[in-house]
Amino acid sequence: MSGMATEGSSAANQRVVENLASRLRRRQVVGSRETALETVLVLRQVVSKARFSNIDQLVEVIRSVGRKLVEAQPKEHTVGNTVRKVLHHIREEYHTATQGTTAAASTSRSTLSIAKFVLQGQPRKQNAPPKASDETRGTLKENDPDDPDAFARTLKPVLMEAIQDVLDELETVYDNISKNAKDHIHSDEIILTIGKSSTVEAFLKSAAPYRKYTVIVADTAPSYSGHDMAQSLSSAGISTVLVPDSAIYALMSRVNKVILGAHAILANGGMFAITGSLLAATAARAHSTPVVVCSGQFKLTPQWNLYHEYGALDFADPSSVLGFEEGNLVDKVDVVNPYYDYVRPELVDAFITNDGDHPPSSVYRLIKEAYDDEDYEL
Amino acid sequence: MTESVTTIKAIASPLPSQPQGEASGSQPPKSQKNMTKAERREQQEKQRAAKAAAKSAGPSAKPAAAAGGSNVKSAPSAATVPAAGTPAKRSDRRGTVSGREAPNMFDEPGKARGLRIFSHFGLPKPPGQAKGDIHPAIIRLGLQFSEFKIAGANARCIATLTAFKTVIQDYVTPPNNTLSRHLMTHLSPQITHLVSARPMSVTMGNAIRQLKLEISGSDIDLPEQDAKDALCLKIDNYIRDRIIIADQVIQEIAGNKIKDGDVILTYARSSVVEKVLLRAHAEGKQFSVIVVDSRPMLEGKKLLSVLTSVGIQCTYLLLPAIGAVITEASIVFVGAHSLHSNGAVFSRAGTALVAMMAKQHSVPVVVCCETYKFSETVQLDSFIKNELAPAGDLFSSFPITRPKSTLTLSGQSNLEILNPLYDLTPPSSITAVVTEVGVIPPSSISSIPLALGRSTL
Repeated sequence: MSGMATEGSSAANQRVVENLASRLRRRQVVGSRETALETVLVLRQVVSKARFSNIDQLVEVIRSVGRKLVEAQPKEHTVGNTVRKVLHHIREEYHTATQGTTAAASTSRSTLSIAKFVLQGQPRKQNAPPKASDETRGTLKENDPDDPDAFARTLKPVLMEAIQDVLDELETVYDNISKNAKDHIHSDEIILTIGKSSTVEAFLKSAAPYRKYTVIVADTAPSYSGHDMAQSLSSAGISTVLVPDSAIYALMSRVNKVILGAHAILANGGMFAITGSLLAATAARAHSTPVVVCSGQFKLTPQWNLYHEYGALDFADPSSVLGFEEGNLVDKVDVVNPYYDYVRPELVDAFITNDGDHPPSSVYRLIKEAYDDEDYEL
Repeated sequence: MTESVTTIKAIASPLPSQPQGEASGSQPPKSQKNMTKAERREQQEKQRAAKAAAKSAGPSAKPAAAAGGSNVKSAPSAATVPAAGTPAKRSDRRGTVSGREAPNMFDEPGKARGLRIFSHFGLPKPPGQAKGDIHPAIIRLGLQFSEFKIAGANARCIATLTAFKTVIQDYVTPPNNTLSRHLMTHLSPQITHLVSARPMSVTMGNAIRQLKLEISGSDIDLPEQDAKDALCLKIDNYIRDRIIIADQVIQEIAGNKIKDGDVILTYARSSVVEKVLLRAHAEGKQFSVIVVDSRPMLEGKKLLSVLTSVGIQCTYLLLPAIGAVITEASIVFVGAHSLHSNGAVFSRAGTALVAMMAKQHSVPVVVCCETYKFSETVQLDSFIKNELAPAGDLFSSFPITRPKSTLTLSGQSNLEILNPLYDLTPPSSITAVVTEVGVIPPSSISSIPLALGRSTL
């Protein structure tokens, strides 16, 4: 299947991929942004050392790397998302390089009709086969038997730029999300948040110099990451109130806004978020309080959680709930310690991303624009 | 009540616009009384802040307080200040006497409005200033309350009544006085001492009201010892009828709701629910229990050990994880601290969340509650009457691996810790209430006395 490509990819590539895969498996890399950054770096290395004669081989190389990484840790969705994003950028660069004018801009058609509107998401599929067969395109020599590396050589600089774009986007995520923070928070507002999301932290800190408001942080057992968040916010000059999770409903009638972080945003607009988010969002819905989620676009996942299965959650170490210091209780009791909650799209009012604010009903469109259809299944 | 009304009015009044976070120096004209009170308040707080800042080692406290003070002086804070003024003053006095971290909360004049809206919660303070003759049994009880050695509405009520029996037996009517008139004035300082340890529970309030009724109705012609014995007998009967036997009836009625194969979810530790589960298990029913627990008290662990010791299959989890297991529960049993006339249940903090999630997933929520827990007030939210747990790790509920620096305020400016112990579950989240007079919908609690032909519950 990937015959010519795999003998092209060096052993060093394999090592790098294996290294990341084993770290993912052992959960030594945790957290959406960290895994995304690591994945981009690995892909950059793979692409720079890969040898390929046409675009399909390169896509296959990247796909196989993506499959390996996703298998290592299927619950870290940002790994797959980053691979899809890189593939999307690579295809775009390839189209611009081969065709110039009528390439990736094919989505904008002059005539508007319902049929075109429905087919909007498919244009690239239609364009791809003709280009591969016709090889008298520009200066790119694909599948040249005399000089197999010519194609790769000419295309690589552009590809590296594209991957750098992805990396830049990841690195400026917090700044872009926090740009309009002061427009979302008004004076004397009381905001509820849970856990320690770096995105929410950056968001709140950037609004602090412009607005005076209070943040209530719930401690989010059993990780108690809320305590770290409260200390970080209070040392930045934001007046913070630290409460246990049991107080969320009691205090909700005084809360003006709930701001949460997400682990992954699913295709229907729902999300996986730290345990406790479902409680906060449901209590907010019961009091008609708006729920706002701050997350980067790299968390958009073209997957669904239709059946809300127990198995979709990730489970963490039970000893943080009932430790061995409890003695003989430990083997008589089942302990449940899920890491994430699934929050339905109906509970979220807006997603604030580094590329604008969107309601959950528009998430499907963002996913269509960010990734290619054929990559949904890696 | 009036305090919350003033704060609501304050929110409704238009805020002066704050473009850059700098507050406008001029405040909209208010009534003379409010303005002077606010001015007085600000001055007092500034003085106290200056004193505290001079005393404490942190140099950062002063610039933080000064910066905060200049920034936040909008109309709502001025209006809420007189509202919060009186309870804040009281707690300040208490705070300085106790010398704990509590004074920090009110010393900084520049704190944002958000912190002040919680300032009327009863702050815990240590007992110890025993004013007047406090019976040693009451002193011991006060200590047990303040250290949460006795916790739970039923336990506290029984302990209080038992201590009062001792006080009554040791009481000697002074000459030229009758027992029925003087005993109450003798008991009042004892009650005040208990309330200073922890705010009075509705159960204690109802029991004491009943006791007062019995005392004032006692026969003047009875010799003293007989009168005292009669009172102690009445107290015993109250405990027996309204608590012990009521619990047994509730166990039976609630037990009928439990079928083989049920998964019962319960929150924290209710003495009534514990008895229900133990009795159902003793009757041979096969069921499993999910115990949901949360800080600050983490009482569920005690329930867990009791249930596992008799062999009931249990699952344990913390409150945020409830979304994962609620679909598996077939019924939810919770206890109550008190029941209000609008059908709302005032119970351990977190019960409202459990009931809300259960209702969302169509799991019936059953509250097990004796009729003596009924309170005639209408309670609309969890703020009007609540209690804060003391800061620090009193209940050893914090994992040993984490640093405990955030459990106490220890010199962190801008950070406040609130541990409300109770919350209010609205009647919409509750399916039924099991009392000793039967299974009733939550809004019917106020019609029970009428149904039983009594004037009060």
